[in-house]
Amino acid sequence: MKTRLMSRAAFAVMAAVLLGAPVWGQAEFPVAAKTLKNGMKVLVQTDHSIPNVALYIFYRVGSRNEGPGTTGLSHFFEHMMFNGAKKYGPGDLDKVMEANGGSNNAYTTRDVTVYQDWFPRSALPLIYDIEADRIQNLSFDPQKIKSEREVVASERRLRTDNDNSGLLDEQLWATAYIAHPYQWPVVGWMSDIEHWTMEQLKHHFEMGYSPNNATMVVAGDVSPEEIFQLCEKYIEPIPTHAPPPPVTTLEPEQLGERRLIVRKPSQLPLVLVAYHIPQTNNPDFYALNVLRTVLFQGESSRMYQRLVDKDQIALDVSSSVEPAFDPTIVEIAIQPKQGVDPQKCEKAMYEEFENAKNAAISDTELEKAKNIRLAEFYREMRTINGRANTIGTYEVFFGDYKKLFDAAKNYSAVTKEDVQRVAKTYFGANNRTVSTLIPENSEEKAKQ
Amino acid sequence: MNRARQGLHVLALTMAALLAVSSAAAQTLHMPPHEKYVLKNGLTVLLLEKHGVPLINLYAIVKTGAAADPAGQDGLASVTAGLLRKGTKARTAQQFAADLDYIGGAFEADAGADFSSVSAEFLTKDLARGLELFSDALLHPTFPQSEVEKLLAQSVDSVRGAKDDPQQVLGLYYYGYLYGTHPYGRPSGGDEVSLQRIKRDAIAKFYETNYAPGNTLLAVAGEFNGAEMRKKLEDVFGGWPARAVAAPPIAPDPPAKGKRLLLVDKDDATQTYFVFGNVGIARNDPDRVAIRVVNTIFGGRFTSDLNEALRVESGYTYGASSFFDARKAPGPFGIFSFTKNETTGPAIDLAVQVLQKLHKNGVTDEQLKSAKSYIKGQYPPNIETSRQLAQIIATHEFYGLGDDEINQLEARVDAVTPEMAKQVIQKHFPSENLVFVLIGKASAIRAAAEKYAEKRDARPISEPGFWPPGTK
Repeated sequence: MKTRLMSRAAFAVMAAVLLGAPVWGQAEFPVAAKTLKNGMKVLVQTDHSIPNVALYIFYRVGSRNEGPGTTGLSHFFEHMMFNGAKKYGPGDLDKVMEANGGSNNAYTTRDVTVYQDWFPRSALPLIYDIEADRIQNLSFDPQKIKSEREVVASERRLRTDNDNSGLLDEQLWATAYIAHPYQWPVVGWMSDIEHWTMEQLKHHFEMGYSPNNATMVVAGDVSPEEIFQLCEKYIEPIPTHAPPPPVTTLEPEQLGERRLIVRKPSQLPLVLVAYHIPQTNNPDFYALNVLRTVLFQGESSRMYQRLVDKDQIALDVSSSVEPAFDPTIVEIAIQPKQGVDPQKCEKAMYEEFENAKNAAISDTELEKAKNIRLAEFYREMRTINGRANTIGTYEVFFGDYKKLFDAAKNYSAVTKEDVQRVAKTYFGANNRTVSTLIPENSEEKAKQ
Repeated sequence: MNRARQGLHVLALTMAALLAVSSAAAQTLHMPPHEKYVLKNGLTVLLLEKHGVPLINLYAIVKTGAAADPAGQDGLASVTAGLLRKGTKARTAQQFAADLDYIGGAFEADAGADFSSVSAEFLTKDLARGLELFSDALLHPTFPQSEVEKLLAQSVDSVRGAKDDPQQVLGLYYYGYLYGTHPYGRPSGGDEVSLQRIKRDAIAKFYETNYAPGNTLLAVAGEFNGAEMRKKLEDVFGGWPARAVAAPPIAPDPPAKGKRLLLVDKDDATQTYFVFGNVGIARNDPDRVAIRVVNTIFGGRFTSDLNEALRVESGYTYGASSFFDARKAPGPFGIFSFTKNETTGPAIDLAVQVLQKLHKNGVTDEQLKSAKSYIKGQYPPNIETSRQLAQIIATHEFYGLGDDEINQLEARVDAVTPEMAKQVIQKHFPSENLVFVLIGKASAIRAAAEKYAEKRDARPISEPGFWPPGTK
């Protein structure tokens, strides 16, 4: 995931949050839905507790819709969407929005590009005017393209080239995938960032930004009626066109472990391990999350207890999954202590996976995982921002926001046997890719 | 240099029309009602009932922080806080983790310069267990030797790991280089050397000296019944023995005179991370609202002067900003950005120019109006959750600020005049006296860095510590 600004949005495991979603039935958590004539679906969640609004627009276009030579274009596009359209020219969008008490950001993943506005309800019509303007009338100012290219290059240097985990993560995906477009980084390879053409940009806009390829979620101090009226006025007249062509490439089954090494000056080594798992809307989603919670979440988790607490070979161990349309990966990060052989950390982790395959988890662990998910559900749902993001994520990745309300049922249906089965199914040696960052100081480098 | 800059003039009319709409809706911010009382043992309790989400947040402030760390033992307050959950009279570290995770609870403890904080979050249905866990850690830690050694070793490696990411440590070098021997110059989490000097006895002594009800504020916010909560808190904390604690004063540090520059060499860096500034303001500075308005314009939002110049117009960086880290005594002010090695000089030049321009031209009426709308419009989500509210009522109490900090925010923001803006720029934004810290590839950027200060220092990032005391 790449975001426009640094300060906002922790999206990554959003869809993984909802285990044991409990008592928030429809009555307590009403969502009004309407599909506009041009195909854009609009979801509204009313909450008057603060006089503010969170508005999200999810476009179903991401780096999976790119190709060699145009990697990073979706993310670059995300930046360009703030750089001027017809009514609001270069620089106006941010100036007008902030002058009216609003702020914004956006993020791009392998699957989606998401625009976020946060504003006092007094700015409501203005925000719709801005959004409608940029969806249909984006301008392609060559000067802005030139300077924004530099901004994105700086973002890449920040998050990838000068960040060990960002750098290793990029190499991990590039190795875990040999066919499917998930193999390239969302931010794009530096040489692609430097070489996109105006034609490629325009083509990408036409491909990804049709109203019927988008979902809008509004949460906060609004009524569904006023939002639907604003949509009819500002959004509905925008003509629809063909969405991006389907991504038909399937990643072939991995038939053996893949390993890669990155050597660079560094104080600590780093290990990232990937296992292929199905896409988000697969039924195993819930059992996988229970397994990950038991193994990786909290200081009582099996991996923390083993690697950090007992063996004392790692500072930290965690796992993450991003929502995905296509078969994706679980990514495991181990931060070894200084001087510890990274393979020692790997070995301890594999032993814990074997334990989870050989015997079912305990009743207490299953119960704990559900309680953790319940608490996280409330944490996510207590802000208008969290609700807008979660409703949209369910709508886009599970195909229906109402699945949000089934999460409780789906999680309570998970059994210890399910957890053991997914451990066996997905966490084998042949299905994994192991990336290791090995510190190399300057003296060693000089010898080579 | 590019069309965005010219565009501003062309657009002035349209913008003025749009801006006129902006202040139409007057909202009124209100701190939700809450109560304050003091237990017989001296513990100050703040209660805020907030219904709608079945969560409860606890936020305790122990009024002694890293500024009280003994010389050479930087990190003591932080390590003490970190060990609270790592063994108590009732539980081993492992049992504490198991009990906490079983109810999906969260627990955090750390020390900043001014105070130590211990916080927790539980579902309302788990209130009894949650309170018991929280108080077990706060009141009854035992600091087992094995856990002390484990945490210290991990903390040393965490500092090393942080140095692999310049962004994480730029502030620590800056605070050290700016404040020198003053307590605000020390890394609150310690460094590779100081952490290895800390012994269990010192930790136990720090706890015994400072963790006492008379030195602690406890805020509780969330979905609960007030009367029931009062009784439960009395049951749980009423028996905490009273003990006198002398709150350690933090003397204000005068701003640095002249210019100086520290270059931290990270040989593999393709981007330079820089910060410069001087000593800023205390948390209770009477000018704080006007400073907030001016800093919003200068470096506190996307369309700020700094971000416009360094990102939007020039493409030098992904982001440029400025901050006042307001504390008990005047805390640091800084201007922060990063740029590729080749544009290090031009980007810093530009940031300095933007600062000079602020002094020369002040802020426009239009900027003032926009910043006021922005601050007012963006504030409500800061008081949306019980977690935020617990922290706010506790820190306001600690810094001697009342509810008017929020209740009067809109009025105080609206009252800021161009004249007040001018005054706070002169008084609080440095101009000639600047302290610079750069982390980057020294061989590539040294020449560019030299012109910013006659007095210069340099060190490799691999060298333990951040900045030795005694430089001021």
